[in-house]
Amino acid sequence: MAETNWRRIDIDAFDPESGRLTRKDIEPPYSSQITSQEVSSKISQLRSLASSGDSKAAVALAVSDPPYSGDEATKNEYFKAVLETLSTVRQADIAGIVGDLTPVQQDALVKYLYKGMSVPEGQRQGGILLAWFERVTQVAGVRPVSHFINDRNTV
Amino acid sequence: MSNPSVSAVFKLVKAPIYSHCFSQDKSLLAVTCKNDCLVYRFTNGTPQLVATLSNHDKTVTAVDISIHGRIVTCSQDRNAYVWEPLSDGTYKPTLVLLRINRAATCVAWAPNGYKFAVGSSARIIAVCYYEQENNWWVSKHIKKPIKSTVGCLSWHANGVLLASGGTDGYLRIFSGFIKGLDSKDAVAGSPWGEKFPFGALVREFYHGCYIEDVQWRSSVERIGYVSHEGTLNVVDSANNHSQINAPDGLPFNTLLWINDHEILCAGFSNHPVLFTEAAGGWQFAKDLDKPASADSSVHNAVNNNEDLDESEDASTTFGISALRKFKQLDLKGKVSADVNETTHENTITQLLSYKEANGQVTQASACGLDGKVVIYNI
Repeated sequence: MAETNWRRIDIDAFDPESGRLTRKDIEPPYSSQITSQEVSSKISQLRSLASSGDSKAAVALAVSDPPYSGDEATKNEYFKAVLETLSTVRQADIAGIVGDLTPVQQDALVKYLYKGMSVPEGQRQGGILLAWFERVTQVAGVRPVSHFINDRNTV
Repeated sequence: MSNPSVSAVFKLVKAPIYSHCFSQDKSLLAVTCKNDCLVYRFTNGTPQLVATLSNHDKTVTAVDISIHGRIVTCSQDRNAYVWEPLSDGTYKPTLVLLRINRAATCVAWAPNGYKFAVGSSARIIAVCYYEQENNWWVSKHIKKPIKSTVGCLSWHANGVLLASGGTDGYLRIFSGFIKGLDSKDAVAGSPWGEKFPFGALVREFYHGCYIEDVQWRSSVERIGYVSHEGTLNVVDSANNHSQINAPDGLPFNTLLWINDHEILCAGFSNHPVLFTEAAGGWQFAKDLDKPASADSSVHNAVNNNEDLDESEDASTTFGISALRKFKQLDLKGKVSADVNETTHENTITQLLSYKEANGQVTQASACGLDGKVVIYNI
């Protein structure tokens, strides 16, 4: 008995009523799911804004109403467009753009920064993401970070 | 210590206090401390330890005192005890079999003092009441549709509606109606529904992250709750929902309605924060007991520090300056060396009303992980 790691004993093994929290349980109850068509029209809108040089409007659009209810593929596709938008902005402009975002947009921006740092596509642009992150935390403090950690609406 | 917002400070124990409660007349104070519950009696404003309630064999997570002076404690050992005060100042414990297989996390007496609710990690709320014929505290379970640990509970003043929040991210209102104990008149005309059979889910609000504390404001039929992302939220029976962020971004652990339009919150920033409801919704009103120098942002504070170091380095010999440099490098867990201490030196875990008149709280008590109980002036 002494060798048994009692912390690992499954105390629910014989309890039929002990439904455990599944991934589905913590998913927010979305009323409707965003379709890939809606997302791709938003992506093309983003690209045209970015190519016209209006990076401020492009970033603001990118972090407004992210496709939280979309499936993994949709989210990834959108993420790549956001990353593209973020990397086109000049370093000197970042602080001004971040300052003009609403708190909700700042929260969404930080979600994309963390997502970027967790995937290879983003890690290749690590320096840019960190520059954005530094500016956001200077403007908004730790609030967007604690929102990112706790929010079950993922990007 | 001439701080206008702090009325009294009691350094009680060298361990975290997760929960505290004053008796109705404020002469007794019960605090949780490790596996025990300590009871202090106040004589001339100084607390004196009069009883140690030590039947639990795991950490005591919560304590509450009923209007009749009965103390209830619950613990990670999955039990609750009701402590009946005896005339000689001791307490007679009665074990309450909660029938749960995980820790009990929170406990709350109903306003009438004849039943209480215990939240647990077993995804169960146990509503317990005394049965005369069996001389026994009976525990009835509310199970569905709770999906995770219940972390906080609050009774409506009518003693029937029970609000709960937890780690599944839902704020739920259940009926804790006990036949023979509650009367249907108490909930007649309630905006929350028509019928309230025991255990019925009256309303459910999805929030999406851990709900740390919840409190009814029965006079306006609203519920305030704080969540782990650092927000204060207020909901009502018409499903209106308003939300406000903590000014410094750190989560709140506890909230207290000051009046119908003001809420005091506290948590990881070690000092209480007051919010008021204005025409445009809830907004930040003021910080209580916040040291002035902590106002500057983290970055400024750190930069100031470095400037200070350099000027001092020039005037002292090398050895001493090196020593000082390392002493100042050690921030002892603080953000910067020149932040003044708040009265609570660590996270505040619970706020309770200490003094109130005409529905307006004028003083609030708070306990924290630093082993202190602090009385704040509002």
